[in-house]
Amino acid sequence: MIDSTMLAQLGSGMIRSVEIFFLTLLFSLPLGMLVALGRMSRFKILSAVIKVYIAIMRGTPLMLQLIVVYFAPYYVFGLNISSGFRFTAVIIAFSINYAAYFAEIFRAGIQSIPVGQTEAAKILGYSHAQTFMKIILPQVIKRVIPPVTNETITLVKDTSLSFVLSVTEMFTIAKQIGAKTASITPLMVAGLFYFIFNYVVAFGMDYFEKKMSYFR
Amino acid sequence: MENDILLEIKNLRKSFDSLEVIKDFSLQVREGEVVSIIGPSGSGKSTILRCATLLEKMDGGSLEYVGHKLAWDNDGRMEYADKKELKKCHEYFGLVFQNFNLFPHYTVMQNITDAPVRVCKIPKEKAVQKAEELLMKLGLEDKADYYPHQLSGGQQQRVSIARALALEPRVLFFDEPTSALDPELTGEVLKVIKQLAEAHMTMIIVTHEMQFAREVSNRIVFMEHGVIQAMGTPKELFEGEETNERLKEFVGKFAV
Ligand SMILES: Nc1ncnc2c1ncn2[C@@H]1O[C@H](COP(=O)(O)OP(=O)(O)OP(=O)(O)O)[C@@H](O)[C@H]1O
Ligand SMILES: [Mg+2]
Repeated sequence: MIDSTMLAQLGSGMIRSVEIFFLTLLFSLPLGMLVALGRMSRFKILSAVIKVYIAIMRGTPLMLQLIVVYFAPYYVFGLNISSGFRFTAVIIAFSINYAAYFAEIFRAGIQSIPVGQTEAAKILGYSHAQTFMKIILPQVIKRVIPPVTNETITLVKDTSLSFVLSVTEMFTIAKQIGAKTASITPLMVAGLFYFIFNYVVAFGMDYFEKKMSYFR
Repeated sequence: MENDILLEIKNLRKSFDSLEVIKDFSLQVREGEVVSIIGPSGSGKSTILRCATLLEKMDGGSLEYVGHKLAWDNDGRMEYADKKELKKCHEYFGLVFQNFNLFPHYTVMQNITDAPVRVCKIPKEKAVQKAEELLMKLGLEDKADYYPHQLSGGQQQRVSIARALALEPRVLFFDEPTSALDPELTGEVLKVIKQLAEAHMTMIIVTHEMQFAREVSNRIVFMEHGVIQAMGTPKELFEGEETNERLKEFVGKFAV
């Protein structure tokens, strides 16, 4: 049955999930933009390196990436890993993984803006930075809302993967309680939580999309 | 006394890979002149404008505005003026595109005032006042708060002309300003360009509108295969005795 201790435990897991979600977005969105710009760079070496990075991030399981990030300090630098590093490792792994996906979305978005926009800005005397920030970026943001929403919804569900580093987010706790009490109720509650979380995310993105519909 | 030379292009050459698009093009334009460039599709008209506005790198020749050298040939290698000089380009020239290229996320007012405010650091109120005057002149005074997608093609093109004029360039280029428009909308744009000509704006216009070119231009340049085939006043080119055979054929197709 649902009791208050269970809800309290699930609640603490829920906060962890929400933390992972927002911290990942906070780091991966700007990082994704930098990666996209690097990927389109004229410097062949930079763009080649970034291409490899994106291929690895998208081509291997996120779960494996979590483990690699967690053990990297030990295997690469010979440092001792404190258990406090677990949560940090989760945020790093999620951020660099999602940055790769966002980068490809941003790159497609930037390339979809007609070159005439950049040319018009150049003739009007805008600098490269002004052209990107004031002319190109607002149009890119509008165009990438739908694919970014998709990734964001996947991220909500992916937060449960952090169990591999024993970070006790929502899903891990639900599983533990479920096993102890031989009940699927905690898992159902967790499922409901993910559903509502995603509903709120989708609602937020929909609102944002509507706000951006003043231009075409 | 002759007016100042605002634009001087000398021996411009331009190739795309192995395709030599502009073989040798020279043009001198004085203040207040209106020069039209005509010629068949693919003859290199747009390429000339794109080189003259630095959207495209030149392969040879030189480019000078109001006595300021922007690009020159140094023993077969193109050199361009330094950053500081290139930053002033918007004072020298503006360009009106065939497909407008208005900024879709800006209102008409923002499209016109953003560059003056952001690039030239003109006070906002002054820029707005200037924009209002321009909109009035171009018959768009009630459209200031519209977004580009809410306007007809002819209105959008007039806004893009206003946007270019707001920076007060010495020379204004047009690349087929009406060819993306429905026939019934070309008139309103051509009228605006005529007004500018009457106000002695220096303009270089690539166009397929022969009648318009005849009426508005001091000089017409006929391009083909990357070279100037004929150049002269409309009278000389359209009514003269010794007109170029190819020009006759080309103009004949438009049944002037
Ligand atoms: N970026 C480019 N890369 C390769 N070739 C190009 C490029 N731009 C133009 N060309 C070629 O250069 C030639 C001249 O093109 P340009 O656009 O200057 O012609 P135009 O006289 O403006 O023609 P139109 O009347 O159709 O606009 C054409 O053969 C065109 O295919
Ligand atoms: Mg052209």
